[in-house]
Amino acid sequence: MNKPLRPIWIILLLAWSLLPMLWQLLSSFTSPEALVSDQATLLNRWSLANYRDLFATDPPFWRYLFNSTIVATLTTLITLTVAIPAAYGLSRMQERLRKTVRTFVVGAALFPYVLLFLALLELARTFQLGNSLLAIAIPYTALSLPLALLLLTSAFEALPSELEDAAKLEGLTLAQRLRWVMLPLIAPASASTAILVFLFAWNEYPIALTWLSRSDLLTLPVAMARIAGSSTYSVPYGTYAAATVLGAIPLLLLVLVFQRQIISGLTNGAIKG
Amino acid sequence: MIALLTAPALVLIAVIFGWPMLRYVWLSFHADSVLTGLQPVANGGANWLRLLADDRFWIDAGQTARFALLSVGIELILALGMALLLNQSWRGRGAARAITLLPWALPTTMMALGWRWIFNTPYGPIEALVSSVGIEPLDLLSTPSITWLVTVFADVWKTTPFITLILLAGLQTIPEDLYNAFRLEGGSASQALRAITLPLLLPYILLSLLFRLAQAFGVFDLVQVLTGGGPAGTTESLALYAYLNGMRFLDFGYSATVMVAGFLLLTMLIVLGTVLLRGMGLLRAMER
Repeated sequence: MNKPLRPIWIILLLAWSLLPMLWQLLSSFTSPEALVSDQATLLNRWSLANYRDLFATDPPFWRYLFNSTIVATLTTLITLTVAIPAAYGLSRMQERLRKTVRTFVVGAALFPYVLLFLALLELARTFQLGNSLLAIAIPYTALSLPLALLLLTSAFEALPSELEDAAKLEGLTLAQRLRWVMLPLIAPASASTAILVFLFAWNEYPIALTWLSRSDLLTLPVAMARIAGSSTYSVPYGTYAAATVLGAIPLLLLVLVFQRQIISGLTNGAIKG
Repeated sequence: MIALLTAPALVLIAVIFGWPMLRYVWLSFHADSVLTGLQPVANGGANWLRLLADDRFWIDAGQTARFALLSVGIELILALGMALLLNQSWRGRGAARAITLLPWALPTTMMALGWRWIFNTPYGPIEALVSSVGIEPLDLLSTPSITWLVTVFADVWKTTPFITLILLAGLQTIPEDLYNAFRLEGGSASQALRAITLPLLLPYILLSLLFRLAQAFGVFDLVQVLTGGGPAGTTESLALYAYLNGMRFLDFGYSATVMVAGFLLLTMLIVLGTVLLRGMGLLRAMER
């Protein structure tokens, strides 16, 4: 990457990342007729019809956004609640045991989880967990745990042990030490973990596809795929583009606001994992 | 006491990851389909014999491996370039890092339909561009020799940012002094890339290779929505085949067999890759 060419590379990088999304944005504001006509000009193509259609459906589009938000928030909260004490415990385990557990957790993190869907569907049927936004947070939590454990354990391991010894001398119980001494110190790692888990749960598809069937309970990725599955030739691309734009906005905001946490989360995972 | 804190998480992982695999191994020795009233009935090794003779399974296995290897290969090269660029200091670099990350954050199914529109014949921008210079329509989504490359493209677009970030983390661990010393010795920038950057980056490259290969081998969302496995089954992956067996043909015994076999093939691929890399002396960096 020599210096004189750098601006060209930067423009290419930005175009690569943004152009497909900009095309969706442009399509979403183009009238359905103009989308499939080669007569459309720069002036007569604009329309809000796609967005109007999106909110006229039953259930309206915002419902999917709402469902995804519920599932992702719930998954994030449960994952952190389970993973933080677990990661603390892991970081205080004896060396030998810790290594074994670590291998097990890394293996789970690498595993292509899509292979689990059939057996998980059986579980959902047996325990009547289908069509529940609450219940689906259980497999989501389990699927998020390997990564969460890896990130949080390395954060706990980085804390000096003198700190905890001092708190112990002060007479603080384990719960108190965790809550008042350790938790504030691993807040950055928890934030990174939370965002990565949230993104996973928001985007998850195969489990949601098999666990949720009632149309008012679908999460965004499944709702999007249903539009696609309706028919190969009559996909309402304009409406779809509008859905993409609205569905992407929360994620764009999340990434732009929490860029630092996401990057440090992934990179810490890479350095210590 | 300490172990009690960890137990719930480990049990949950063991149940959600471990139980399905045990269940599949068991199911793979049973007939469990509409023919048996959706009840498992032991059938010896019939599923496995069927699998060995099932052309569709082996074709899909080849297609899945082809997809995974090509996607991850391209992603590594692109990500290396992006990471090098994003590691240099220039104005607006922070914003550019965030923008680079965006494709990775969007749901796969969402962009899969986006690509269907962009690669659409004849209304998509690609075909419009092609026809404006007088070339015949490419039929990107209905030509067996091309469509699988479109799925590779879509995967590359989405997951390159992930590898970029891991490589960026690796680049940040290389001390600037090394480059300064190398320059003082009269080494050029491209020599520095080969002598310093790539060797020190190797553990990160191998890590992302391993992780991405395993994930790409399980490709499902993308092909299910973008192509549905078509045209003529040329983009059908093992995960999609297992899904169709289970959810469309309601043959759970065979679906489970496909999944166990897919998992075994992936494990073999990873072991084979490890042996190859070790043979090339590339794994020493990981075993420091």
